[in-house]
Amino acid sequence: MIGLLKSMATTMKHALDGNTFTVEYPETAPDVSPRFRGVHKFSQERCIWCRQCENVCPNDTIQIVTDDQRNGEQYNLHIGQCIYCRLCEEVCPVDAILLTQNFEFTADTKADFVYNKEQLKAVPWYKDIDPLESREPDRGAWIGEGEGAVDYQ
Amino acid sequence: MSGASFAPVPLQQDSDTVLLPERVADLTGLGELGVAGELVAAFIAAFFVGNLMLAMTGVAGPWAKRKITAAFTDRIAVNRIGPFGLFIIVADAVRLLSKELIIPENADRPAYDLAPIVVAGSAMLGFAVIPMGSGIQLADPEIGLAYVFAVSGIASVGLVMAGYSSSNKYSLLGGLRAVAQNIAYEIPLVVTGMSVVIFTGTLQLGGIVEAQTEPLITLGGFAIPAWYAFINPFAFGLFLVANFAEVGRNPFDTPEAPTEIVAGYQTEYSSVYFVLIYLGEFLHIFLGGAVIATLFLGGPAGPGPAALGIVWFLVKIWAVFLLTQWLRSALPRVRIDQMIEIGWKGMLVLSFANLVLTALIVGMIA
Amino acid sequence: MSTGLEPRRQVGVDVETTEEELEELIGDRALARDDHKNAPGFVIRPDEVQDVLFDLRDEAGFDHLSCLTAQEYADRYESIYHLKKYADPTQEVSIVVPTTSDEPTSQSAEPVFRTADWHEREAFDLVGIDYEGHPDPRRILLPETWQGHPLSLDYNQTKPQVVSLTEHANPIQPDQKGAESDTMFLNIGPHHPATHGVLHIKTVLDGETVADVEPDVGYLHRCEEQMCQSGTYRHQIMPYPDRWDYVSAGLLNEWAYARVAEDLADLEVPEYAQVIRTMGAELCRIASHMLALATFALDVYGDFTAIFQYGMRDREIVQDILEDLTGQRLMFNYFRLGGVAWDLPEPREEFFEKIRDLLDELPAKVAEYDDLLTGNEIFQVRCVDTGILEPEVAKQYGCTGPVARGSGIDYDLRRDDPYGYYENLEWDVVTEDGCDNYSRVLVRMQEVEQSAKIIEQCVDLLEDWPEDDREIQSNVPRTLKPEADTETYRAVEGAKGELGIYIRADGTDKPGRFKIRSPCFHNLSALPEMSEGEYIPDLIASLGSLDIVLGEVDR
Repeated sequence: MIGLLKSMATTMKHALDGNTFTVEYPETAPDVSPRFRGVHKFSQERCIWCRQCENVCPNDTIQIVTDDQRNGEQYNLHIGQCIYCRLCEEVCPVDAILLTQNFEFTADTKADFVYNKEQLKAVPWYKDIDPLESREPDRGAWIGEGEGAVDYQ
Repeated sequence: MSGASFAPVPLQQDSDTVLLPERVADLTGLGELGVAGELVAAFIAAFFVGNLMLAMTGVAGPWAKRKITAAFTDRIAVNRIGPFGLFIIVADAVRLLSKELIIPENADRPAYDLAPIVVAGSAMLGFAVIPMGSGIQLADPEIGLAYVFAVSGIASVGLVMAGYSSSNKYSLLGGLRAVAQNIAYEIPLVVTGMSVVIFTGTLQLGGIVEAQTEPLITLGGFAIPAWYAFINPFAFGLFLVANFAEVGRNPFDTPEAPTEIVAGYQTEYSSVYFVLIYLGEFLHIFLGGAVIATLFLGGPAGPGPAALGIVWFLVKIWAVFLLTQWLRSALPRVRIDQMIEIGWKGMLVLSFANLVLTALIVGMIA
Repeated sequence: MSTGLEPRRQVGVDVETTEEELEELIGDRALARDDHKNAPGFVIRPDEVQDVLFDLRDEAGFDHLSCLTAQEYADRYESIYHLKKYADPTQEVSIVVPTTSDEPTSQSAEPVFRTADWHEREAFDLVGIDYEGHPDPRRILLPETWQGHPLSLDYNQTKPQVVSLTEHANPIQPDQKGAESDTMFLNIGPHHPATHGVLHIKTVLDGETVADVEPDVGYLHRCEEQMCQSGTYRHQIMPYPDRWDYVSAGLLNEWAYARVAEDLADLEVPEYAQVIRTMGAELCRIASHMLALATFALDVYGDFTAIFQYGMRDREIVQDILEDLTGQRLMFNYFRLGGVAWDLPEPREEFFEKIRDLLDELPAKVAEYDDLLTGNEIFQVRCVDTGILEPEVAKQYGCTGPVARGSGIDYDLRRDDPYGYYENLEWDVVTEDGCDNYSRVLVRMQEVEQSAKIIEQCVDLLEDWPEDDREIQSNVPRTLKPEADTETYRAVEGAKGELGIYIRADGTDKPGRFKIRSPCFHNLSALPEMSEGEYIPDLIASLGSLDIVLGEVDR
């Protein structure tokens, strides 16, 4: 019986203290940490079309088409398939890819989640942050491959 | 037991209390139109009481229950539509009523359709004899208490109808659990209620309320009224527990038992039927609260003028409702076999012990 | 079905079995040696499986069939029984049973280890090996009507298959429609409030009593093993372990892959990274146990009540910290082979402060859970002496983690087969002897406290770590190509128990065979033992106390 009363007292204490731990989304969006990995942002200006992101992507989210001179023609992103592993950002030697802090995006059909490089420009995915700054990208582990030469594939 | 009279008991005892239908008849002048007029007046009065209760369940179901649960679980709840989110009641009503009414293929049709009405209706019938204060009472028959227990017991029929006619094994289990539980707890409930009757000597609810108006003792200027909750707290506790089991609230919500049997007897119900069953459940909680208030908490009694009676009465009902929600947040559900065991081995024995003890005490004093 | 629960002869199980003794024990039955990186391996004939396994179990004390891997080579099929000892999991032996390609029939190990039942069904299902004498040779993950075996070499991966729906029948007696029958068949799930995902439990009821239970798994089967087989060791596999036990245990799962791959490729992990890993993993354990506690309360209490919400709230705090550390709340992808992806977030003091706040508030919260749950008399009435799992039965089913420790089995890989930084820290393995639902709850609650203890020590270490020695990743080649036919099986203590991975390298940069040993799979298989003869609510509570995640059961 004492246990029952203790249980009831505990819940009543919570009811009376008036604290809540939920927030009123979307009016108060929860803060995400600087390292948060949201929607993929691609910078065409920086890209050197090395295709490393396409290679490292575990589930073919990124598709790159180049001409025979290895100049970039298409950069397609199937964002609905992305698993936010950040390997593309990690592998990119020129910081052309960043995962932003945005996690809110919707579409009516699966096909709407496919973006080409022009559409990627138009998508307002950045909030007022500079993910690069918060990440202090350290590529030592990527570029220095053992004792041998740097492998850019 | 000598001189037992077998003459039919008059349903309506001649008393000084003016009942709501009579008052309506007087106010509107319908009384002068003879029996037909009285009938219309009675209908208007019943309409008023019925809607008052339905409005309360309307507030309780979509809004108050959520708010209370949210408070216990440290969350923000319905707060977007209207002040304090109150308009969610309207939104929910529209939403629920506009949903598709799905009827299972093998449902036993008349029974399936009738069950929600029986569940909700049985509770509504109970309110007919409850003295709510401020002159709101539809009827005050001599057998008032027995009547309340009888009509609220009809709900079990509705539950088992819902259970078997849905053609769903979970519903069936829920329906059977509901019956087993109601039978096991109806007896302690009635027997404990009888211990109050021993004090009052009448089944008439008006009389029971009246018997509680005397002050019990006066402590430092505060008169503690002779509510049976104070006179016999043990019976009060027993009655509360039996009542929670009777209306199937935590920790005795085994007939519904989400996570075990999905939603018990109401698994297959949707749209309007679901609303009816849901309303019926809330009505039963409120009816339980009304009976508790009448038997143990002095009915509409409270400080202030007598006109405030209805307010005090509603406060008491809502206090019982709050208690059900509090228990819901804090207590686990007992298992069905434990539940039956508590009912037959514990509650029944205790309630009879209480009855005998009360009889002895009353016998010695009187 | 032989019971075979009692060992034929009790020998001192603590005695270490040397390789010579093993050779002697197996004797002529060993056709050849096929040593794995983690254990000596013996090749035996397919008709001597039971004989050899009985000897190993009863004479040498290998009482834990940790995993069964089946695979197809170009010229043969192979079943590998990975045996361990509950008393000392570092003592391992692999029994390799090759069968011919045209007639892949091997003797069933089910009479020796009950857990082989489900494992051999899975091996049949995915690879296509038949097990002679198996009590129930059916598919387990894929539908009954499926054509072909997805992990066999000649399987057509691209051909779609239509699965028809068949009504489930009462396995004990003809269905309830007959007047004579007094049992009722009840489908619990695949969509049911208490199944924690898409699990289907075929239940036969006698009144409210559970007469027969059979978990039917596979609804969430995503071929995770195959997905890992088609990813490169270096990067592409690591995001996927997060998705096995997806509720919170991401880092613990990642560690399972990290450990086996680092073992396979002989990679070093800097000590600093090990401390971060240990801390992150224990944070995950707290989050995972909080959720287990919350959902168990949900199963016993009924509604989305207070304890569920409090559990979620406390898990949220842990997840915030993990988000700061890894950048995600569930799918961390934070470990890398040879270390971790990121150093601690700057400013470090703020991060440490956050963790310390969590640890400071934890005792009060645990006390609150004690008030709400374990001290509650109705809760005790519901949980004490229900869902009994005797230690011998638990071992037979290969139960590990809090489930085993709730049955008094003192088995924790963090201590018994140390990895990471656990060896150097002060903490205890929690066991309870009740063998019931209540004990399993107690074990989880106490493990939360132990995890907090570990985290505190890690934070102390990290705070004082010299700035010039903060190496988070060792130098790992960009492309890993372990030597062909290196095989290893390694396990870590996941949130639910022993999470093991077997990898066979085939000389390319992707694994030739990747087999996941899921603790939930084993724990769930013990459900019938726990719940038959009890009531439906006990079945639900037992299921909740096992704390399964269907993503890990079905993979």
